[in-house]
Amino acid sequence: MKKYLKIWWILTIASAQNNFSSRFGAFILIFGKIIRFLFFFFFLIIIGSRVSKIGGYSLNQLILFFLTFQLIDTLPQFFMRAVYRFRQYIVTGDFDYFLISPFPALFRGLFGETDPLDIPMIVGTIIFIIIFINKAFTVSYFNIFLYIIFIFNALLIAASFHIAVLALGIVTTEIDNAIMLYRDTTQMGRIPVDIYKEPLRGLITFIIPVGIMMTVPAKVLLGIAPFTIIIISFLIAAIFLSLSLFFWKRALRFYSSASS
Amino acid sequence: MIKQYFLAAKNTWDETFVYRLNFSIWRIRTVISLLITYFLWLALLGNGSFIFGYTKAQMITYILGTAFIGNLVLSSRSATIGDEINTGDLSNYLIKPMNYFTYWFFRDLGDKAMNMSFALIEFFLIFILLKPDFYLQPNIIYVVLFVIALLISITILFFLNVLVSLLAFWVDEVWPLRFIFFIIIQFFAGSLFPLDILPKPLFLIFSSLPFPYLLYFPMKIYLGNENWQGILVGFLISVIWIFLLIKFTNFLWEIGLRKYSAQGR
Repeated sequence: MKKYLKIWWILTIASAQNNFSSRFGAFILIFGKIIRFLFFFFFLIIIGSRVSKIGGYSLNQLILFFLTFQLIDTLPQFFMRAVYRFRQYIVTGDFDYFLISPFPALFRGLFGETDPLDIPMIVGTIIFIIIFINKAFTVSYFNIFLYIIFIFNALLIAASFHIAVLALGIVTTEIDNAIMLYRDTTQMGRIPVDIYKEPLRGLITFIIPVGIMMTVPAKVLLGIAPFTIIIISFLIAAIFLSLSLFFWKRALRFYSSASS
Repeated sequence: MIKQYFLAAKNTWDETFVYRLNFSIWRIRTVISLLITYFLWLALLGNGSFIFGYTKAQMITYILGTAFIGNLVLSSRSATIGDEINTGDLSNYLIKPMNYFTYWFFRDLGDKAMNMSFALIEFFLIFILLKPDFYLQPNIIYVVLFVIALLISITILFFLNVLVSLLAFWVDEVWPLRFIFFIIIQFFAGSLFPLDILPKPLFLIFSSLPFPYLLYFPMKIYLGNENWQGILVGFLISVIWIFLLIKFTNFLWEIGLRKYSAQGR
């Protein structure tokens, strides 16, 4: 574990230096991420100030769901940004270097290019969540503990999707948009998934578990999550992680080291 | 002469079909984005028949309509101009007997035609599966004005795109600027909600910008809930913006070319 942390740190420093080689670009990107967050937040405020309940949820609850989404959406981007550039390594044959490294290629493919430009959003969102929960809700420490556990559970599911995208990148080199497809689908979690109608609701709760990832943690915090969904959440995370690792191992056989 | 530009538009089609899977995923992403907004508004509407001064049919039509015309207005290839300046590939075009901007306008048209073809199929399926409460405008005058507003919005977006790309004469990486440009367009054009639900002073400020004339204004005309004076003022502002954008584009192009060093060639 210590060895992996050290490798991750070295790769992260290299990635940070690369990202800040263009300070102007880095500043614009951070600014863009912040205003994207503020725009949707503003939209929620506008709507919530004129409609008393949306799908049975108050404005404060909707804000909590959105903040939780924001955190779970940004953390994988921070840790697993390398996935967004993975195709390039496959197409050029540079993935060879991953395979001959003295640590797993999957580790390099997932965590090799941590994105420091996401740090302001992550820190800002966490502070916002702490202040907001303090001001708007009365929740027990146990619920907060469960909330954190379920955020980790969501990150496991997110990691599974990222592993699957890496595997897809090896099998079919044509895929550029696969990770963005995941991002777009998870955008549905900006609001609680119960608001959507069936069959979409069922689809994004169990098949593509956006609901498990984005909605369940906030529901657990508010104490409104049914016990069965809590059990199912862990089960789904375990299934998705196992499947994606299986898919990754199978996909490695398809790598042809083209162009290297 | 015009034939070469049509060939440029056709090339965009051919290019897209080379990366079929990528394009298919892009279309799925577009449909997902539409469904998010559609279901969000369905939830907001609940069992009510009115929201923010819109009937249920009008609001659903607005959301589906902006998504549909977004395929025409917002799809574009001219973002590549920035890369061509940064890589020095612009030099290839400067020595050719054609207008660089017209070439890219036709490339855009090719991309729009491609996206619209797929959007027609997607919307057909959405209408069959979801049976949305869609408002069909019976007044032909509004429909004609809506089409004119769309042509104006295509022109506005083209020049906005070119302007952002031309900044590549001064910065090494133009894509962070495109990222922020895209976020601004999505919000201020009114794809998430009709802009007139905003507080009045804010709405007036937004109305003086070019962005609402991309999606919001054409859809308001289509719905027929913009009065004649509002339509006239809207057309006037959008035409003024086209004039200003053309002037500013030419200005940036001229001073940019003086600075251009074909770096990377």
